[in-house]
Amino acid sequence: MTSDSAPPTPVSSVSENLSEEKRELQVHLKNEDGTLLLILPTEAETASTTSWTDLWEQLKHRLNGGSRFWQPQASVHLMAQDRLLDGRQLKAIADALTETQLQLKRVYTNRRQTAVTAATAGYSVEQQTEVPSLSLEPSKPAAALAEPLYVETTVRSGVEIRHSGTAIVLGDVNPGGSVVAAGDILVWGRLRGIAHAGAFGNARCRIMALQMEPTQLRIADYVARAPEKTPANLYPEVAYVTPEGIRITKATDLSKTHLLSNS
Amino acid sequence: MSRIIVITSGKGGVGKTTVTANLGVTLARLGSQVVLVDADFGLRNLDLLLGLENRVVYTAVEVIAGECRLEQALVKDKRQPGLALLPAAQTRKAEAINPNQMKQLIMALAQMYDYVLIDCPAGIEMGFKNAIAAAEEALIVTTPEIAAVRDADRVIGLLEANNIKRVHLIVNRLRPNMVQANDMMSVEDVQEILAIPLIGVIPEDERIIVSTNRGEPLALADNLSLPGVAINHIARRLKGERLEFIDLDATNNNFFSRIRKLLWSKLGS
Repeated sequence: MTSDSAPPTPVSSVSENLSEEKRELQVHLKNEDGTLLLILPTEAETASTTSWTDLWEQLKHRLNGGSRFWQPQASVHLMAQDRLLDGRQLKAIADALTETQLQLKRVYTNRRQTAVTAATAGYSVEQQTEVPSLSLEPSKPAAALAEPLYVETTVRSGVEIRHSGTAIVLGDVNPGGSVVAAGDILVWGRLRGIAHAGAFGNARCRIMALQMEPTQLRIADYVARAPEKTPANLYPEVAYVTPEGIRITKATDLSKTHLLSNS
Repeated sequence: MSRIIVITSGKGGVGKTTVTANLGVTLARLGSQVVLVDADFGLRNLDLLLGLENRVVYTAVEVIAGECRLEQALVKDKRQPGLALLPAAQTRKAEAINPNQMKQLIMALAQMYDYVLIDCPAGIEMGFKNAIAAAEEALIVTTPEIAAVRDADRVIGLLEANNIKRVHLIVNRLRPNMVQANDMMSVEDVQEILAIPLIGVIPEDERIIVSTNRGEPLALADNLSLPGVAINHIARRLKGERLEFIDLDATNNNFFSRIRKLLWSKLGS
């Protein structure tokens, strides 16, 4: 991709409403006071087509990509929310955690059936009463971004990482793979797939990569695709939104061209 | 300890079945007890490639249904002692069995053989899930084309999610002269995307088509052709041997290009 000073990069104009289309969340892990919370998205937060297999694959990818970030034998609290889990699924989650040296200790749920299953399997259970949806998590007043997600993995074709905060990928994003984040996206590797920063509509978000060869870049409602020919020299670059669309500049020039002009 | 290896690719037509057949023959030639499992229910081919079609009586589905014993369904290859085939049913589809049943079947085979090679169907649906259910390792076959590499990448991700961590790459149908002319992805290009260890490169060769049609795997020949040698090396690497990769460019030289090279070097000196 060309840098800011060179002739304009091919940028298609704003047309679709990207930020509106999907806000689905994925399985995610969160550290809280020494215990790890494994949070399953609620039924409302995922597309109706999201199956148990999809959730399970997301969990495996998250665990594989983040194993450096927790102490061995750390205890995990599963926030199952309104998900129905049967005994086999609960065991699959526990097994996946055991493989990454984590221990499932407690299950939080607001489904009676899940609570019974979890208790039968020998986990301590906390059954949260069904609260009217207003006070539930997704509708917190203008929720602040989630803490950054840091994964060490190759995002392969067919894998999508979604996060309601900044996402950092240590590894390549392959063609066919995608990263969607409400905040910035930082790829310490080659970005060859799709990256969508500021997915909830924040156009001030940026996409950074050691090698920018994306299929497509999206920031908030803006879309840009890569030029037909990949430049011979690839250096770390940053993509950001200007009134003319998405522009890319050398990472080392960012402070000169972008920070100054924007201040 | 027997090894259970699934041969998969995502995309169809890249040579999974051919690789499975030849790898099975080679491993058996190297003295191992090998069983090949055709997991492509409804579209079975492996028996054709091995030339064993007319000896298939029972299939995996009958074994699972309890209509015959496992030993009855196994077809032993008379040309190559130590090699057997468990054929897939031609009449039913992948939905006829589930991953658990497949797992039991493979585990029973693992008791009897050193290597269980599973020929996976194309795609990532039920048939794929059945094929990988019991596997402990995987060989990814891809050709140097973007579509094949993209699908291979997807499959590697799925294997990782299913706890198959030992995954090796076979680049099939490479044409060194096209790579040299920059008309084809090189092995390095493929590896750069897939980021898994390479176990072998098999050059494109017309003799493979001939052997496929005859039902005589190339690896059965006494004088191994170049693809046969490549397969032989893959088998030996699987067994833990460390071998240099064959220099495919050098073998591609014909008489004239060698003379030309000689002249050039003379002129240069």
